[in-house]
Amino acid sequence: MLRALNILLTTLLFSLSSAVFAVSVEDSKGTFTLDYAPKRIVVLEFSFADALASVNVSPVGIADDKKPTRVLKEVRDIIGEWTSVGTRSQPSLEVISSLKPDLIIADINRHEAIYEDLKKIAPTVILQSRGETYQDNLKSAAIIGKVLGKEGEMQQRLAQHKDTMQRFAEQLPNAVEVQFSIARKDNMYIHTADSYAGGVIRALGLSNPEITKGDKASRKVGLEQLLAINPEHLILGPYSTPNIVDTWKTEPLWSVLKVAQNGNLHEVDANVWSRCRGIMAAERIAQDLVTIFQK
Amino acid sequence: MKTLLSSFLLALLVAFIVALSLSLGAVSLSFEQILSGFDASSEFYFTIHEYRLPRSILAILVGGMMALSGALVQGVIRNPLASPDVLGVSQGAGLAAVILMTIFPSVSIFWLPWAALSGGIIAALFLWFLCGSHSGAIKLAITGVAMAALYSSAVDFLMLTKPLEVNNALLWLTGSLWGRGWNQITMLLPWLVLIPFAFSLAKRLNLIGLGDDVATSLGTSISMTRLWALTIAVGLTASCVSICGPIGFLGLIAPHLARRLVGGRHQVLLPCTMLVGMVILLLADLVARIINPPIELSAGIMTAIIGAPYFLWLLFKVR
Amino acid sequence: MLNRFKKQSYLVQCTALLAVLCLFIWLSLFSWSIVPVSASQAITALFQTDKSIIAHSIVLDLRLPRALIACTVGACLAVAGAIMQGLTRNPLASPSVLGVNAGAALGMATVTILAPSFGLFGSSVAAMLGGAVTWALVMVLGSAWRGGEHGRLVLAGVAISALCAAFTKAILILHEDQASAVLTWLAGTVANARWGHWHQLWPMALIGLVGAQLITPTLNLLNLGEDNARSLGIKLGWARILCSILVLILVAAALSVAGSIAFIGLLVPHMARSLVGHDHRKLLPISAMLGALLLLAADIISRPIIFPLETPAGAILALIGAPFFIYMVSRRNR
Repeated sequence: MLRALNILLTTLLFSLSSAVFAVSVEDSKGTFTLDYAPKRIVVLEFSFADALASVNVSPVGIADDKKPTRVLKEVRDIIGEWTSVGTRSQPSLEVISSLKPDLIIADINRHEAIYEDLKKIAPTVILQSRGETYQDNLKSAAIIGKVLGKEGEMQQRLAQHKDTMQRFAEQLPNAVEVQFSIARKDNMYIHTADSYAGGVIRALGLSNPEITKGDKASRKVGLEQLLAINPEHLILGPYSTPNIVDTWKTEPLWSVLKVAQNGNLHEVDANVWSRCRGIMAAERIAQDLVTIFQK
Repeated sequence: MKTLLSSFLLALLVAFIVALSLSLGAVSLSFEQILSGFDASSEFYFTIHEYRLPRSILAILVGGMMALSGALVQGVIRNPLASPDVLGVSQGAGLAAVILMTIFPSVSIFWLPWAALSGGIIAALFLWFLCGSHSGAIKLAITGVAMAALYSSAVDFLMLTKPLEVNNALLWLTGSLWGRGWNQITMLLPWLVLIPFAFSLAKRLNLIGLGDDVATSLGTSISMTRLWALTIAVGLTASCVSICGPIGFLGLIAPHLARRLVGGRHQVLLPCTMLVGMVILLLADLVARIINPPIELSAGIMTAIIGAPYFLWLLFKVR
Repeated sequence: MLNRFKKQSYLVQCTALLAVLCLFIWLSLFSWSIVPVSASQAITALFQTDKSIIAHSIVLDLRLPRALIACTVGACLAVAGAIMQGLTRNPLASPSVLGVNAGAALGMATVTILAPSFGLFGSSVAAMLGGAVTWALVMVLGSAWRGGEHGRLVLAGVAISALCAAFTKAILILHEDQASAVLTWLAGTVANARWGHWHQLWPMALIGLVGAQLITPTLNLLNLGEDNARSLGIKLGWARILCSILVLILVAAALSVAGSIAFIGLLVPHMARSLVGHDHRKLLPISAMLGALLLLAADIISRPIIFPLETPAGAILALIGAPFFIYMVSRRNR
């Protein structure tokens, strides 16, 4: 009797433990199944590194373009050391393989061509990262949490993120028009309403200029187009200084812009706003916005 | 005797660089480790068998085919500055690929080689339609150049109006062996059939080299030979470009180098050109991988950088 | 109608072209503006400026320099093309076909990325140097001086262009951050042109255009063939060097402001020749006006295509120009 109970208990425990580690999620290529909790993870986009760090998991390799400072500082503080696996556009498969990963997280936009090769190295989840919206990013984070076997923790973190964003939103004015742009030496790219930064801005109760809606890409604009958008607040992420805005400022037309008249031109870290993407990146963006509006 | 020796040395060089390609990279491997890489249970299985080996084989195939195509075009057009690029095939393939990437970004990347291949072939047909089969060689080349200019301006136009997809397209357009493997090799294999056909044209190409009048008087149909040679060149180029993207200068410089080594007889020149092409592309890909790991450069850029100085020097020589 | 226009005297043709040019400039001042500018405002802005009206500021600070620069750049490139065609006696010669554009692009990309602190002046000098080197190379390799066949010159140009383009692409990929700046430049646009650019452009353009007009008798003699020219007392070497310098001044002035604009230098001289024949004294001014008109028209067309955003005018020109190039080639060899 006792023996029978023992066997029953063992089988029950066994089935339970295997059930705990078998996950199955929908990624961009269909159903992805993993029957263990991954320990050595390689991520090929910054947004995935952010998702990992959000549940205190450190990747062994990141496609960081060989420039470690491109990874968000908050993320770096959590994950510690990692190995660079090359550029995001052409990660080195040899290096990935030499890290002996047990999970790879790739971007459907950049890495679809090497998906089959990645699968030969390790099970690969392929999700959207480049060109994703804020909501897409949160969904991807939830999927990653599930794959890591930390679904509960990730849900908790997402809920906490929602609260955090809500708290930031309360410190921000309502429905004020904010436009984020990248400035380079001789051109400016606006991030439209459907871009990542545009989505975060909306999620915080601010609004996007009407004219940029329904356009996913970032768009190059001249001073004339900027005049047509004429946002109330212009947030500038300079990739180089001096940049085109310094040139524009010397022109009479600049003073016609609302941002010039009301002094609502603000500078932020372009890397955080346009490259990083992720839970912590969104919180950094929100923090930046609160700092700007409480000045 | 000299030609035999040169060919033998070239073949040896190919083998040597393949060995180097297998051992060098982001992680350097010893000889034993390379051997163990062929065993599916080894930890180097992926690096050797799934990565470096197919990449080297692909470099051999593409290098050989592109170089052969260059030799055919130069043989027919009888101009040392001609190359498969002047037929507009690479640019046509590039345009088709960029259209697929920018206008239909949701289409799976799986279709990219097929789109590029059809683009290249359509470009060749269009050129043939514009020139007809009886036109002079120089006219063919210049019309091809004009077509190439048209395709590249269309590519520029697309890349500027669709900024988000630019980087993927730009990467493909510089020609790279990154991320290519056994699948691509199997796609390329059927095209190897063209190589014996190319070799069978060697004698007639020699006659064409003597001038149109001599060739005609010796009973060679110039326009037929030209048509065959160019068709084969188009097939070789289009298939290679559809896999790796346009790899510049290979078809231009490999035949010249081979001609310096073994002379102008096409029976020897064609195989030797292939060997030279293999050496150049293998070397370019190796350098592109190891110059700044884990950053990967494009082999197409490396062939340009290796090939350009030689090309300039050559231009001054043939002047 | 075209035939009737061809039969008119040179003076009438000039006046008519000038009138059309003025009309186009006026059009470009107000058409497809996101901030509404009316047709009449475009005129009043010029003569009764009221800076408090946004429309006036747009016309004066953005649209007017843009139109003027489009005209001048178009004129410079067209005249450069006409000189090149006269000099090499090759109807396909032009800055873009013979690799000058590609060389200038390489010079410009190198400076933009390796020494960004050099600024606008540095990059135009680099563009000029790059263009000069490729032009010299193509001329020497294509053995243009010795009356080599036309195809050879063009093939040399294409090969050198490909060489420069490969290096430019390598630089682009290695410095992804700056890629968009160089790509914009490669496409060629006058959308960001301002008075500052105008002040940089006009002295060089003036020297180039006036100089070009002064050497027209020499060009006419060169067209008679080398032996004839020599027997008429032309120092061939000097004439060629002078012409080359003028071409480089014109091209560098245009490219440093508007980026790599192709095909104007190829297309326009042919259009002009069909109007006034082969006399360079008439050919050059007509080419200048037609070139100005063409680039201005391309710039106007570039606005509505993906309105309110803009397409580079250079891309539009290439799409028009390349089929013309093909037509030219197939007609010549028939």
